[in-house]
Amino acid sequence: MHQPLAVQPQVTSNSTDVLAIANSPILWVCVAGVFGVIIIQSVIFMKAARRAAPSVDMSTQDIKTSFRSGAVSAIGPSLAVSLVAIALLGLFGAPAVLTRIGLIGSAAYEVSAASIAAGSMGAKLDDASYTQSVFAVAFFVMSMGGAMWMLATLILTPLLRKGDAKVRSVNPAAMAIVPAAALIGAFSCLGLSELPKSGIHVLAFLVSAAVMGLCLLLARKFSKSWLREWGLGFSIVIGLIAAYLAASPAIGA
Amino acid sequence: MTSTTIVPATSNTAMTDFSRTTSRWGQITMIIGLLISLAGPLDLVFASGLDIAPEQLWIAFAAVAATFGIIWIVEPLTYFPALGPAAMYQAFMIGNISNKLLPAALIAQTNIGAKPGSKRAELAAVVAICGAAAVHLVSLAIFVGLLGSWLISVIPPSVLLVTRLYVLPTVLAAVLVQAVVSMKQPRTTVIALVVSAVVVFVILPLAPSLAMVSTAIVVLATIMLAWFFRAKSVTAKSEPVHIE
Repeated sequence: MHQPLAVQPQVTSNSTDVLAIANSPILWVCVAGVFGVIIIQSVIFMKAARRAAPSVDMSTQDIKTSFRSGAVSAIGPSLAVSLVAIALLGLFGAPAVLTRIGLIGSAAYEVSAASIAAGSMGAKLDDASYTQSVFAVAFFVMSMGGAMWMLATLILTPLLRKGDAKVRSVNPAAMAIVPAAALIGAFSCLGLSELPKSGIHVLAFLVSAAVMGLCLLLARKFSKSWLREWGLGFSIVIGLIAAYLAASPAIGA
Repeated sequence: MTSTTIVPATSNTAMTDFSRTTSRWGQITMIIGLLISLAGPLDLVFASGLDIAPEQLWIAFAAVAATFGIIWIVEPLTYFPALGPAAMYQAFMIGNISNKLLPAALIAQTNIGAKPGSKRAELAAVVAICGAAAVHLVSLAIFVGLLGSWLISVIPPSVLLVTRLYVLPTVLAAVLVQAVVSMKQPRTTVIALVVSAVVVFVILPLAPSLAMVSTAIVVLATIMLAWFFRAKSVTAKSEPVHIE
């Protein structure tokens, strides 16, 4: 931070100490800002809901029940998201993980966006090419992606509220096929791209995929939806344990 | 959306007031949230002494837009019927909609016996999402902000190294399985996997420079092939497009 400006770019941009800049105080201030905005929004919405409730036959008890139901049902998913977020701390640092994976976005999209962004710079997130510059670009692109979601919401919600015919008359067959094709296409390309990297990558990939498959199967068979929520967390942890066991001779652990 | 619930005459003005408040403040808070979430990375890119060319940013953004651009628009469209206008502004800022907020809203509506699509259901969803947000913020602050940062400082370097090296394949493998299972489109899945395999194992080794745009290529090719080979009986699904 206090180096002469002329020297700074060359010194820092090739540094692979990503966590050093990923934990900068300004990023923490932004995390606090996002937390604050969500808290303020929730307070305003709660007050508005309380005011409107009597007119639609909703008692104070109904409001309490709704709030408590929402809170209780969020405990499991929130802890599951926290587990995934912790697993990604080493890669992105706490501020980026809190705002991107914890809030606003979700692990699937943000990790994909970061991976694609790094790829566009000819870099990877998991080797020496992951420099501070690559992290900065990846974080910028993740945040821009989130911003686009919010922008779409800001533009489309008023239109949908008015029941805009144009928005609703999208070809139903296209709506059924195109988004699903985009998602499965993106995730299958990103997933398969991990395989040529090393044998341990293949192992981690297969173990994680198997755990997720098992979780979803058991969730359906015994209708335990918590297994679906925890699937991603379990897959990551068990996949990493497999990778650790396979890699430990090489890294001297 | 019009409600079919029979409600007292005063409900109109009260609900109009609710709509106006949530729409105005929903937009204001979401715009502020959007700006704050961009401020951090912008500071990093332009003010921290890293020499990053603006072109790099736009190329990276274009690559992601080519991959997820459709989803940016489709997701708000598909979530709107379930969430209602007010909760839209909450959901797309808090995130993790399908795995956390939607279940929270549905459980609250069931618990107070609100009919889907009614005004009561709309209010219950908003209040439930407030409850879910409270729990979520607290658990993130404690488990990720405090506990997570402490964990990173105490775990052995070898574990941290393994995590950094191999967390990507574990996340992406699990997400792929989720996407395939929750979309329930076997044809599209086969097409996507074949196209990806061809790109990753055949084309990329021959033309490594395509790595920059490989995901965008696969997405476009999958969409076109899935559309071309679609089952003629395909009907629109009313459920939101999301991965479980």
